Amino acid sequence: MIQLIVFLPLLAAIVAGLGNRTIGNVPAKLVTTGALFASCALSWPIFISFLTGGAHAHVVPVLDFIRSGDLSVDWSLRVDTLTSVMLVVVTTVSALVHLYSWGYMSEDDSQPRFFAYLSLFTFAMLMLVTSDNLVQMFFGWEGVGLASYLLIGFWYKKPSASAAAIKAFVVNRVGDFGFSLGIFGTFLVFGTVSIPAILAASPDMAGSTIGFLGARFDVMTLLCLLLFIGAMGKSAQLGLHTWLPDAMEGPTPVSALIHAATMVTAGVFMVCRLSPMFETSETAQHVVTYVGAATALFAATVGTTQFDIKRVIAYSTCSQLGYMFFAAGVGAYNAAMFHLFTHAFFKALLFLGAGSVIHAMHHEQDMRYYGGLRKHIPLTFWAMMAGTLAITGVGVLGVFGFAGFYSKDAIIEATFASGSESGGIAFAVAVFAALLTSFYSWRLVFLTFYGKPRWEQSEHIQHAVHDAHGHDHDDHAHAAHGHDAHDEHDHAHGSVSDGTAGYHPHESPWPMLLPLAVLTIGAIAAGYVFHTPFLDAEHGAAFWQGSLAFDAHLMHAMHEVPMWVKMSASAVMLTGFVIAWFAYVRSPGIPAAFVSQFRILHDFLYRKWYFDELYDVIFVKPAFAIGRFLWKRGDEGTIDRFGPNGVAALVVSGSRLAGRLQSGYVYSYALVMLLGLAAAATWAMVG
Amino acid sequence: MIGLMHYLVVGAILFVLGVLGIFLNRKNVIIILMSVELILLAVNINLVAFSVYLGDLVGQIFAMFVLTVAAGEAAIGLAILVIYFRGRGTIAVDDINRMKG
Amino acid sequence: MSYAESLSLTLSEVILAAGALVLLLVAGWAGDKATRLISWIAVVLLAVAGLALLGPAGAAFGGQYQADSFAAFAKVLIYFAAGASILIAPRFFQLADGSHMGLRAEYPILILLACVGMGMMVSAGDLLSLYVGLELNSLAAYVLASFMRSDQRSAEAGLKYFVLGALASGILLYGISLVYGFTGTTAFDGIAKAYGDGVSMGELFGLVFVFAGLAFKVSAVPFHMWTPDVYEGAPTPVTTFFASAPKVAALCMAIRVAVVAMGPAAHQWQQIVIFAALASTILGGVAAINQTNIKRLLAYSSINNVGFALIGLAAGTQQGIAAVLTYLAVYVVMTIGSFVCVLQMRDAEGRPIEAISALAGLSRSRPGLSAAFAIFMFSLAGIPPLFGFWPKFLVFDAAVAVGLLPLAAVGIATSVIGAFYYIKIVKIIYFDEPGEEVFAANNNVVETGLMLLTALAVSPIGYLAIPVLGQLSDRAAGSLF
Repeated sequence: MIQLIVFLPLLAAIVAGLGNRTIGNVPAKLVTTGALFASCALSWPIFISFLTGGAHAHVVPVLDFIRSGDLSVDWSLRVDTLTSVMLVVVTTVSALVHLYSWGYMSEDDSQPRFFAYLSLFTFAMLMLVTSDNLVQMFFGWEGVGLASYLLIGFWYKKPSASAAAIKAFVVNRVGDFGFSLGIFGTFLVFGTVSIPAILAASPDMAGSTIGFLGARFDVMTLLCLLLFIGAMGKSAQLGLHTWLPDAMEGPTPVSALIHAATMVTAGVFMVCRLSPMFETSETAQHVVTYVGAATALFAATVGTTQFDIKRVIAYSTCSQLGYMFFAAGVGAYNAAMFHLFTHAFFKALLFLGAGSVIHAMHHEQDMRYYGGLRKHIPLTFWAMMAGTLAITGVGVLGVFGFAGFYSKDAIIEATFASGSESGGIAFAVAVFAALLTSFYSWRLVFLTFYGKPRWEQSEHIQHAVHDAHGHDHDDHAHAAHGHDAHDEHDHAHGSVSDGTAGYHPHESPWPMLLPLAVLTIGAIAAGYVFHTPFLDAEHGAAFWQGSLAFDAHLMHAMHEVPMWVKMSASAVMLTGFVIAWFAYVRSPGIPAAFVSQFRILHDFLYRKWYFDELYDVIFVKPAFAIGRFLWKRGDEGTIDRFGPNGVAALVVSGSRLAGRLQSGYVYSYALVMLLGLAAAATWAMVG
Repeated sequence: MIGLMHYLVVGAILFVLGVLGIFLNRKNVIIILMSVELILLAVNINLVAFSVYLGDLVGQIFAMFVLTVAAGEAAIGLAILVIYFRGRGTIAVDDINRMKG
Repeated sequence: MSYAESLSLTLSEVILAAGALVLLLVAGWAGDKATRLISWIAVVLLAVAGLALLGPAGAAFGGQYQADSFAAFAKVLIYFAAGASILIAPRFFQLADGSHMGLRAEYPILILLACVGMGMMVSAGDLLSLYVGLELNSLAAYVLASFMRSDQRSAEAGLKYFVLGALASGILLYGISLVYGFTGTTAFDGIAKAYGDGVSMGELFGLVFVFAGLAFKVSAVPFHMWTPDVYEGAPTPVTTFFASAPKVAALCMAIRVAVVAMGPAAHQWQQIVIFAALASTILGGVAAINQTNIKRLLAYSSINNVGFALIGLAAGTQQGIAAVLTYLAVYVVMTIGSFVCVLQMRDAEGRPIEAISALAGLSRSRPGLSAAFAIFMFSLAGIPPLFGFWPKFLVFDAAVAVGLLPLAAVGIATSVIGAFYYIKIVKIIYFDEPGEEVFAANNNVVETGLMLLTALAVSPIGYLAIPVLGQLSDRAAGSLF
């Protein structure tokens, strides 16, 4: 069964990918989507059986993969609670995204390729979550990286998409380098790459040291940090986060699947999977906490200033991943996994909803040109509303709450309950970030769905209105227009005074709405239904079955935190909502006034803390300079001049000389022979 | 007393003469044929002289073979020269350079 | 050992010599009408002689003639090349209108006689039999080179080959006389013994002269000058023959002289061989670049290839000799294949075309021929996965094994230069705009079959032969040590 779950997507990817144009759009879509729904249908029973306590962790061998000296890597699929959680997340979101793409990608002319990539990604992700050893996990890790690269650059004719794909690939290489070093180191220390064996041996290793780069390090700290670098790269944590916002160049379903629900959470999953290792090193846990907290804060602040609807959600994702990491850092791995679980539903929902908005607005992504869409696309509006309620954590304690209410509050309480210094800082950050989360989420909703239409200034809309007279809907090339360019453009005002420019947004087709509906249910109910098994001190231990380091004491302590801690999340949520409401509904002049008042702060945030500029100066420019130096001076000036070009010139003149020697006269031939003879005789006599 | 060395010097001189004849002569291919014969003669003098000096017959037998081969070689050389002359109407060494490079 | 026993050891030479004489009588009696019949009989004779190589090994005629697996290996290659050269001749000399350009019944007979000579060369255990074998081969070769009597270039080729060949055999003979005089013997084992206890000045001169004479036969630089002119002028089937069989014979003869007779003086001849090897690979690669005539280009290619084979000889070990033998086997197949391709270059009247530019855009009119051309060119360039890569690798490996790193390094570098002109031909065939010249179609089963067979052999399929080839060449090389 588990084999079917994992390999059906691969099979579908092969059929759709190799068949490509020969089998046509519809069969390719049917095969891939069907395979994913089958996988999904098979995954839920596994999850439910773990939920009801009817199943136990087991390993299904597939192949004897590598056997070289001490290194033995079996290719087998591990099924335990942790895996089952990821299985349902991955297959459900993936299946829904496949279905959604029927509508979203319907105008694209290379759909089989798209669906093949999506299925390939799902296969790699499933390999990652079912891996029983680090090598297999690395395989899945690289597989999702590759699929992500292919999908970000899916519209490869768009220069910005290609650049974003390359950026994602390069930044992830940095993380993967750390991860691979971590794997090597783990093999060096433990003599095995089998995850259960490593986890079993970790407690004994705690405290031992190892020489690395000439200094002594604590073994477990070093290994955990190296592995964590990998997690940082994949999960876009501060420092290695720069690729995620750019990755929004990919089609929106991709953003929902890969850059919200699944791949970016691989880092969190890895930390949880290896949680017994991290438990042995306090330093590593602190680092995880601080990095997570910093990311949560950073991304939330940046998210408040962005205008591109997808970028806002991307920074929101980045921020929520930070939450998950510091939850793991303080030892509440189950809370991290729970947030991962609920986040997958509401963030996928938000992305797909955003996709629906973008679809309705003819590929306009700038929220400044939205407004008043509530009445035009009501279903999308309600779906987005549910997602926003979920991410901001709306709920009444002890009665009912949306998904985020349970998971985010659990994290906030866990940071407080952990009692450590890093936990305290994380708590403060978490509360503040929750305020910002609430603000930017409502800001998104208000800018998009409320107020008056501001569509007339959008180039995309203008195109659409023009094209509507004679042409079909244009292809996605429109998205190629750089969005930064909008700032400078001084758009001519449309002739229609209501700001709609005569454009009428349409609600999306049912393949797009159906996934939204399913995810809406998830965003509303996932927290309420599942919080007991995931989080409860007694039920949790039975549910997780030791598949991650479950800290029952911490779970108990979470219930004992003071009331103000429990209420803090709801309080800041309300505060954020009120600010957003004032700023974007009640009196829309406030943001502009605020921006002009705090120009520097706004620029700092709008320019994403100048990370891209900083990296540009530190890494990119010097790299280009070195490259240019080596190319101009090194290659052309030295190597080419004395190397290929010089040799080529030498060969040509040598060829001419040889031709002249070959004069055709017998006597000169004889002379050459005798000279050779004389030379040989002389050589022999002297030598 | 004429010893081995004298024969060898004569042989060497003849050999060098023959070689020089091949690439100093620009006029006539026949002269080249004669130079080749001269080289073979030098070899034969060497072989016979060594044979006598060593006191075994191999050298003299070898010389017989060389003479035989030289006869065949001269015949073939002249035959080729004849067809060459038939085609070009000249046997000047300087004219034999239709193929070069 | 009785006379009869000696004769039985030389069975393959006896078959060829007697057969050639009988065929000569037949030719004299039946005239040129019998050319086709005589050609086929000659091929059958070569096959029979090849089978006779399966006979016992041993030394015949008091050590003058060595029948060992080394000689047998070389002779198989020689007979194969000779047979192919006979088979491809009729169509070359045949014009479209039915007249012919001078193929006569002597052609297969001369090749048979040359084969007898080459058989003696590779089996020689004495300088006397070596010389006789060499001359028998050379005299037949001079005639073959000028075989197209009506063609001025053919006559010039014969003349040049003759003059320089005579000079070379004069040099060789002079060296032989010195070796004989200073060692007191012409037998290889006796010479080895004399070189074993110190090399005197006379012996050294003898060695240098002998190697110079041998270098001419293998057309190693600087004794290569005749090669391009003769290859260009001789009729293409004869060029095919020259490029394959005598190369094998001369190299194997040189190997036997170097290893068996002058093995103890290896230090002295190694330097000469290294120089010749390097000079050959470099000049063969460099000079070929400017060529416009395909046969001339292949002549330089053969010089280049001989250089690589000599690298194996320079190593001087059993591994090196085995590598040379493997090299020769693959080289013979590649060369015959590429010359059969060149044979396809003829105009509607059936006259040969030799300009490389005529190949432009060939891929469009003759895709099969183009593919074969490309395979042979890539293989000659030693580009994996084609089989031509393997022997190159073996000789470099052998050179490295004895510490001749610089030699191997330069060899590899020059093979890059060489690759340039081979690939240029492929480029002309596949990417240039076709000219107005259209080659006549090929309807000859023999040529098509040969092309197919050789192309398959040098394609990656050839790697299947490595175990067999490796074992045979190793055993052959082992019989010298």
